[in-house]
Amino acid sequence: MSTHLIAFFTLREALRRRVVLAAALLTLGYLVLYGVGVWFGYRDLQETQGGPPGLTEGVVSLMLVGGLWSLNFIASVLAVFLSVGALSGEVDQGTLHAIAARPVRRSEIVLGKFVGFTLMLAVFIGVSASLMILIVAVITGEIVGGSWAGPFLMLLASMLLIGLALAGSSRLSPLPNGVIVFTLYATALIGGVIEQIGDVLESAVMFNIGVFSSVLVPTRAMWDMASAQLATGGFVGELSAGPFGASNPPSGWMLLIAFLHLALTLGFALRAFQRRDF
Amino acid sequence: MSQPAAIHLSGVSKRYGRTLAVDDVSLSVAHGEVFGFLGPNGAGKSTIVKMVLGLTYPTAGEIEVLGQPVGSLAARAEVGYLPETFRFHDWLTASELLHFHARLARVPANARTERVPDLLELVGLKDRANDRISTFSKGMMQRVGLAQALVGEPRLVILDEPTSALDPIGRRDVRDRIRELGERGVTVFLNSHLLSEVEQVCDRVAIIDHGSIVAEGKLDELLNAQEIELRAGEGAEAAARKILGKGGVRKVNGRLRVRVANDDETARLIRRMVEAGVPVYDVRQIGDSLEDLFVRVAERGDV
Ligand SMILES: Nc1ncnc2c1ncn2[C@@H]1O[C@H](COP(=O)(O)OP(=O)(O)OP(=O)(O)O)[C@@H](O)[C@H]1O
Ligand SMILES: [Mg+2]
Repeated sequence: MSTHLIAFFTLREALRRRVVLAAALLTLGYLVLYGVGVWFGYRDLQETQGGPPGLTEGVVSLMLVGGLWSLNFIASVLAVFLSVGALSGEVDQGTLHAIAARPVRRSEIVLGKFVGFTLMLAVFIGVSASLMILIVAVITGEIVGGSWAGPFLMLLASMLLIGLALAGSSRLSPLPNGVIVFTLYATALIGGVIEQIGDVLESAVMFNIGVFSSVLVPTRAMWDMASAQLATGGFVGELSAGPFGASNPPSGWMLLIAFLHLALTLGFALRAFQRRDF
Repeated sequence: MSQPAAIHLSGVSKRYGRTLAVDDVSLSVAHGEVFGFLGPNGAGKSTIVKMVLGLTYPTAGEIEVLGQPVGSLAARAEVGYLPETFRFHDWLTASELLHFHARLARVPANARTERVPDLLELVGLKDRANDRISTFSKGMMQRVGLAQALVGEPRLVILDEPTSALDPIGRRDVRDRIRELGERGVTVFLNSHLLSEVEQVCDRVAIIDHGSIVAEGKLDELLNAQEIELRAGEGAEAAARKILGKGGVRKVNGRLRVRVANDDETARLIRRMVEAGVPVYDVRQIGDSLEDLFVRVAERGDV
């Protein structure tokens, strides 16, 4: 079995590539800005007298969820950028020829890349989310961030995109594949908004369009579940709906759909890549 | 021959959309043979190589490699391949690339640490072992590619135009390496445009054109068919055609060029022409080189 060789190779490549360096620098800069924002926000919050009990905790939680939403977005973009040319792009460039001629199964190449990118994103989300929770804790003295399920759901969202991009990459060249994956990603985002509006307006059609988009690409739904896990504190949970999450998070069924989705995209990637000519 | 061939193709075809890249090719390469595969651009050489490696799937036909069906992992562990494009992950250093391929080829760790520096020295990249491949020139990339092909100590080495980017010294080095491999009993399948290269190292060659094999055999046998140039009197052309009863007769600069199978045929031709009353003033043998053969085959589609 050579899956682990390909996985570590992929991880090593990702670490040496500019995309990751750029994402790391961007995230670092973002975290600094974020820290400054939280510091001022928290100072203003403390100057506000009165208000309902639990206001401070709720607002801090809201600030954290908002910050993690941005990290989730960066992670998603990174996931797509890393994996969008992973198969076809390499076949077209010729860099995979010598490797695929080794005693390595095609499936090991696909799975190795999937595992490698997933590890990469796990490191990215793990480190940046921890730093963010740490920043909030140091500034406000509040340890928020809810359960560990939150970051895992964020990772799952990125894994869905990796699966999708690998499926496309088994046949399509990087550019068309990237266009398709980002379009689907955007569809899921917009679908989430439509779903919320449909919910408010009690429009069944809009609501169903939203649900359909979540089934098509469950990335947004994963974030909605993640934000429900991350947000702590009673009524402010409602507030965190807004742009950062759904007012009523998706049911557990969505998790099942997400795993099915992943199995389907990976299955397709394996099958299509197995059959393709170099 | 009881031992299975190193490479065996039977009735292999490959169609890309409307192009028939490979058309019903059958071919055997014996163990330990250094086999040259020649043909003009687009003839189907690389396509055949990729099918032998299991990178591309044939539309029809059967392929066996080292006695195993094509694509078998056991066979692949004993094959080394230098792709035509010799593009590698250029964020790796030369040494890292070789280590990675050695691991993929299942070379044990202690053998790897010895073999990698040795191979880098062999291809003249010892000083650049720890430089990233992205900083390499084309020829250096091809050299590291050759080292990569040899890193698993393969029993079968498949080289797709291994010297296309090399300087004359590099080409000579590669020829020497191929000869060495041949002497050690390693089977070499060499795709090349460089006829001198093939002439110098190969035991047997095949020429492919438009997806079909148009000539195959031991080099000296293939080159045995030769051409002679005659300066002769009136009616020489017609007489030669009548005597030989076949084609291969043409006029070049007022002289007659005739293709003959061997010296006996030359002697018979001249005697019969003289008997027929056509004076022969001068006969010259035109040395047939592999290049002549290649050009002839590629231009006319026959030998
Ligand atoms: N992926 C592909 N899709 C479509 N056609 C292809 C593909 N690969 C090769 N061909 C066609 O198959 C034929 C044989 O190509 P191949 O690369 O095997 O030639 P070659 O003999 O290696 O040529 P060269 O000497 O230029 O390397 C060509 O007509 C080529 O256009
Ligand atoms: Mg070629």
